[in-house]
Amino acid sequence: MNRKWGVLSGLIAAALVAGGAQAALAKDWKPQRPIEIIAPAGPGGGWDLLSRTVQKALTEEKLVDRPIIVTNKPGGGGAAGWTYLKGKEGQGEFLAATSPLILQNNLLGKSPLTFHDFFPLAALMAEWEVVAVKADSPWKDGKAFFEAMKKDPSSMHIGVGPALGNDDHIQFLTLTKEFGADPKAVKFVVYPKTASEQIPALLGGHIQAITISLAETLEQVKAGKIRLLGVSSPERVPAIPEVPTWKEQGVDFVFPHWRGLIAAPGLSAEQKKFWNDTIAKMVKTPTWKKSLETLEWDSFYQNAAAHEAFLGKQDVLMRDSLKSVGLIK
Amino acid sequence: MDAVFHNLLLGLDLALTPTNVLWVFIGGLMGTVIGMLPGLGPATGVAILIPITYGMNPATALITMCAIYYGAMFGGSRAAIMINTPGDASAIVSCFDGYPMAKSGRAGSALAVSAIASFVGGIVGMICLTFFTAPVAAMALQFGPAEKFSLMLFALTATITLSEGSVLKGFIAMGMGFMLSTIGIDGQSGAIRFTMGISELQDGIDFLVMMIGLYAVAEVFKNYKAIDVRYDVDAKSIGRVWLSWAEFKATIMPMLRNSPLGFCVGVLPGAGGTIATFLAYAVEKSVSKKPETFGKGAIEGLAGPEAANNACSCGALVPLLTLGIPGSGTTAVMLGALMMLGVRPGPVLFEQHPEIAWGVIASMLVGNVILLMINLPLAVPLVRLLKIPQRIMLPLILGMGYMGTYFLNYSAFDFILVSVCALGGYMLVKLEIPIPPLVLALILGAMTEQSFRNALTIANGSFGIFYEKPISLAFLVLAAVSLVYALRKHKKIVQMRD
Repeated sequence: MNRKWGVLSGLIAAALVAGGAQAALAKDWKPQRPIEIIAPAGPGGGWDLLSRTVQKALTEEKLVDRPIIVTNKPGGGGAAGWTYLKGKEGQGEFLAATSPLILQNNLLGKSPLTFHDFFPLAALMAEWEVVAVKADSPWKDGKAFFEAMKKDPSSMHIGVGPALGNDDHIQFLTLTKEFGADPKAVKFVVYPKTASEQIPALLGGHIQAITISLAETLEQVKAGKIRLLGVSSPERVPAIPEVPTWKEQGVDFVFPHWRGLIAAPGLSAEQKKFWNDTIAKMVKTPTWKKSLETLEWDSFYQNAAAHEAFLGKQDVLMRDSLKSVGLIK
Repeated sequence: MDAVFHNLLLGLDLALTPTNVLWVFIGGLMGTVIGMLPGLGPATGVAILIPITYGMNPATALITMCAIYYGAMFGGSRAAIMINTPGDASAIVSCFDGYPMAKSGRAGSALAVSAIASFVGGIVGMICLTFFTAPVAAMALQFGPAEKFSLMLFALTATITLSEGSVLKGFIAMGMGFMLSTIGIDGQSGAIRFTMGISELQDGIDFLVMMIGLYAVAEVFKNYKAIDVRYDVDAKSIGRVWLSWAEFKATIMPMLRNSPLGFCVGVLPGAGGTIATFLAYAVEKSVSKKPETFGKGAIEGLAGPEAANNACSCGALVPLLTLGIPGSGTTAVMLGALMMLGVRPGPVLFEQHPEIAWGVIASMLVGNVILLMINLPLAVPLVRLLKIPQRIMLPLILGMGYMGTYFLNYSAFDFILVSVCALGGYMLVKLEIPIPPLVLALILGAMTEQSFRNALTIANGSFGIFYEKPISLAFLVLAAVSLVYALRKHKKIVQMRD
């Protein structure tokens, strides 16, 4: 009898000590196990590149003292990787790359997941969107192009990829509306393999314009083969100083194609604070800045609070423009 | 012309430095090993090995990545020949005759011819890349949606001629492939089609999962009855990994004529190794004097596609080097890695960094020689696999098949899919419905559909676009000819039976 009680009280004591230790740790949480960054797509894409760049910066600047691994979980336009992250509730060692697709997948009914299901940690970088035409085409700016579109929408075919409802598509719809043409009349040609099909199609004269992210077009611009009608950044981009922003052309439209990080749902305040502080430190490091420069990415840092508010606003903008063409009800 | 030779010498100078030769060797060897594992194709191989290129100078990094890419291409057909499990889609065709050859005790010849054909394809592809990059890139721009649709239609009808026996059954198989390819989210309208509420099916059926099921796992079912049978293989013939003079004579023309074909297909955005190998197989079968031996171990049926496949991977570099856009999954990975090193391939690469651009081209020459030297001796231990009794081999194939499936998407759902495909594949074999048209239709289905719709969008709904454009019309005529040929051949077979 006595022995039994002894064992039991010993266990209780141990549990109390362990509990106390946990409480002490919780004040100042740090990753306990290797950190996993999930790139919810195959190797080589934007999410993969972002995850590996974050991995590099955090490791080389010694901002975390646990090893970081990047895992590729492709499928469902990001949904496969994000679903995996959702299953890691309360575990601070799991992050995933994200982009506007987390909103668009949900809006288009492809996935029940949205940013509310996670801890939106930060936006990190942005690429800007452009509308590109062939260098020898008659249109020099947005106004001339959309005037032509107003006159004869059936002669203008716009390349977009990989599917309707993404940032590229939304940019063009918004511009069409703002320049006074009818978004419903636009003839979109969908290229599932994105730039690798869109650019040859444009250069070969099969379509009249493409709506695409800036980085994909830079080489062609440098080679003088295509012309950019405008860019969705707030100010002119240093790499292409001759291209006016949409704002300069009288359209109030700034539209980043951003990428960032989300963390698992159900994190404690301490876990959230750790990551928010760590990422804030990371974006100031030379390693991170140098990576942005070599990859020709613009910095687009938002901390957790700012990012969540931003996501809410973007959600409304996208819902409206997709509704206007009947892609969602 | 002089300028080209001057540049090539400049490139060779860079490619032949001891460091670069060493990296070509290491990259080629690792690529070969990765390519041999089912489910791990060149794209994954390059991705896994990117970290070893950190800290290298950009030229060495690009050369190493190309070597991995080539190594994986060489390795991809090994598994197809030895255990009927293609490493990736472009190795499917190697199963058709490679596996029957291995089973009939000619594994040595099969492995040797696939390595030599890969070598020839790589060399011819490299020559094309050196001299014809500009004109071929210009030609590729002529390919709009209408041309692409007609090309794919031709590739599909040509596959019907491949099928054994009934043309009708070939069409049934193709129809099933098309139906399966419609599963998933439609990019044009965003509609979710035929997923039966299973979210894993939203991206469509991964054809690699399908193939592992249809070929590798179904093979286990087929052989299960004969699990205790020991193949009586002659140890001497196994040990010989080389070609006889007769085999060499039979395969040299297939290699040479299909390499330029593969190169041209590789340049087209989004076409790739699968179309190249299937077309090469169709070409070989239709020019052969003994088409009835195809599918039963015809060495030409292995040599042609292998050469086309490697030449195609050279072609895939054309859009990367001239337009800065990746033509295939692997080149996409390479582009990402290069950007991390601060080099952006594209139209100005040849002007700004000629030593890199030409160094890479020259390193392919070196790489192909080195890979041939790696792969021929490597075949000797591989052929010994055949001595393993079925009761050990079959579980091994089953294990590798399921492992490879998991590597593809890290999704447990694919286990169910692969099992269903295997059962389906077994039934198709029993019903004598040919599998190749089904696989090709599944792979090309989505692209064919999208090209068709894009062409009609551009033409504002007029079907004229398909026959008014000369390239498109040419492919449509070829498609019609190959169909008539298939029907007539079939009629002859039926008459002979009567």
